[in-house]
Amino acid sequence: MLRYEMIVIGAGPAGLSAATEAARSGMQVVVFDENARPGGQLFKQIHKFFGSREHQARTRGFRIGENLLKEAEEAGVKVVLNAAALGIYKNKEIAVSFGGATRGYRADCIVIATGASENMMSFKGWTLPGVMGAGAAQTLMNIQGVRPGGRILMVGSGNVGLVVSFQLLQAGCQVEAIVDAAPRVGGYGVHASKLSRTGVPFYMSHTVVEAKGSDRVESAVIAAVDERFRPVAGTEREIGADTVCIAVGLSPMGQLADNAGCEMSYLPAKGGYVPTVSEFGETSIPGIYCAGDAAGIEEASSAMIQGKICAAAACNSFGYINDEEFRERAEAYGLSLSKLRAGMFAPQNKGRTDISHTAEGYPLSGSLLQRGYISQDEIEAFPAARPGSGKGLRPVIECTQNIPCDPCQDACAQGCISVGGDITGLPTVDGDRKCTGCCMCVAACSGQAIFLVDEDCGNGSGLIGLPYEFLPLPEPGALGLALDRSGNALCGAEVVEVRKSAAMDRTAVLMMKVPAGMACAARFFRPADGRQACRGR
Amino acid sequence: MQRTIRTRPTLPFSPEGDDGLIVCRCEEITKGEIRRAVYDGMRSMNEVKRYLRAGMGLCQGQTCQRLVQGILSRELGLPLGETGRIRGRVPARPVILEDFGMSDGDSEGV
Repeated sequence: MLRYEMIVIGAGPAGLSAATEAARSGMQVVVFDENARPGGQLFKQIHKFFGSREHQARTRGFRIGENLLKEAEEAGVKVVLNAAALGIYKNKEIAVSFGGATRGYRADCIVIATGASENMMSFKGWTLPGVMGAGAAQTLMNIQGVRPGGRILMVGSGNVGLVVSFQLLQAGCQVEAIVDAAPRVGGYGVHASKLSRTGVPFYMSHTVVEAKGSDRVESAVIAAVDERFRPVAGTEREIGADTVCIAVGLSPMGQLADNAGCEMSYLPAKGGYVPTVSEFGETSIPGIYCAGDAAGIEEASSAMIQGKICAAAACNSFGYINDEEFRERAEAYGLSLSKLRAGMFAPQNKGRTDISHTAEGYPLSGSLLQRGYISQDEIEAFPAARPGSGKGLRPVIECTQNIPCDPCQDACAQGCISVGGDITGLPTVDGDRKCTGCCMCVAACSGQAIFLVDEDCGNGSGLIGLPYEFLPLPEPGALGLALDRSGNALCGAEVVEVRKSAAMDRTAVLMMKVPAGMACAARFFRPADGRQACRGR
Repeated sequence: MQRTIRTRPTLPFSPEGDDGLIVCRCEEITKGEIRRAVYDGMRSMNEVKRYLRAGMGLCQGQTCQRLVQGILSRELGLPLGETGRIRGRVPARPVILEDFGMSDGDSEGV
């Protein structure tokens, strides 16, 4: 039986970060993962991440995965793939099955970083082919390169549902609707807005009651729900769809911790049963740690920090780093984590419905929460979203919720945009500084909520620079329709320029000309020839 | 106030329209069978598992656990957290018996 100082189960963001941290401090580490590829869910994440620079904000998830793997390799971490941990026994012995045999290992310490599984919901027809988890749909399109379906009904408006819906549009699917039994959109408003302006409708306080079809999904029936989430008879509506994606939350996969004998508790805020852990992620069994979604549902950026904290604690207990070094690291990681766990979507605010204003005191957009887009009169309450009075292009920032994110302030070389020290703050625009129209802020915004607007660029026209992540990119001169925030056609539009550069990392900026007076409302471009991947309602 | 947890439903079993719905896909256990099990005296996830095999299939309850918990919670009037969980057991993942049999405690190679 081989012995390792640290055995990590799961090569996702938490596991790889823990392994790298420990190996860099001198520990001998092995990571087992049951999948054929490492990285957990990171390689499915083609969108730009939130957070600040220290959290690798505005870097796409799969790039963060690549960086993690490279770091792990450089640190001397051994990653064994297609290797399923079957159980954890007394004295930290682990049985792992791979290569046609089951082998026993002994560890001085164990990090359980097994992630989460998708929650399902049962309704008539839910076992028909075509009903799948949103994460499964994401794996199909972003890992396997297979489009999950043509016409999608998304159930769930949390960040998973919203992000996957947008990626489905990018893959060329039609998202027929997003339904959620909750009365308010669960995920970031900026994610919802990205969908709404392409024309995807949101049905809040609705659920799916049936998937219809003989041997595969051919349509889905949705219905309004009452305050106890029961479908209301007579409100049924049939939606043509060949795929129903379920994004109703995740459950921590804590089975190995349970099997090891760690104390478990049911914590709804963490997504279900999780091992009880110390502030450093140590379970009730000394030397067994748990990090990432397995310890409570959050997201990849905080999982990475949690992994590092566990590893630092383990390094300290085995004498690889002294108490002072440990305190310093724990403090720095703790601070970094607390920045991500702030704002109105922080874990401690999960399920709260009483937040009515931003930290700055601006009223939250009710339309955004109920319909997925901000109404014109609501947006005017936000100073950074008001078009300036001066001449020329100016950033208009439609960021209206306190989420942990600040790449916009780094993006502007002129210093026009500032978020301040608290990264959940809403960005402000300094009207006295000159916007050069470089578009870097538009491309840097992970929520695609920044536009460049010139209300009057002459000849009775206004100009808008908008973020665009669909293929094929329109050619300069392309004619089409400008859509408003709700996805309704507003007016004719012409793409006069398409900006792209390496620094913009595949977020193109379309410079779109519209009739004067329309620039404050036009937020998307639909080409007249309809050759655009994304098709809303 | 000390609360006593009820161990059986107070009303007699009554069929519901969607009792035929499959809840545990691996073992093909229906909602009606799970509801009936509650009236037969099962009041926790593990009891239902042993009684019906719900959660004992390929996915080991990863898909149905929450659904079964939801049914138990509704039938017994208990909060979700009081319906218990499927105990994490070895093997945590399905394993080919031959591979399991090849276990010799020898971890050569890695």
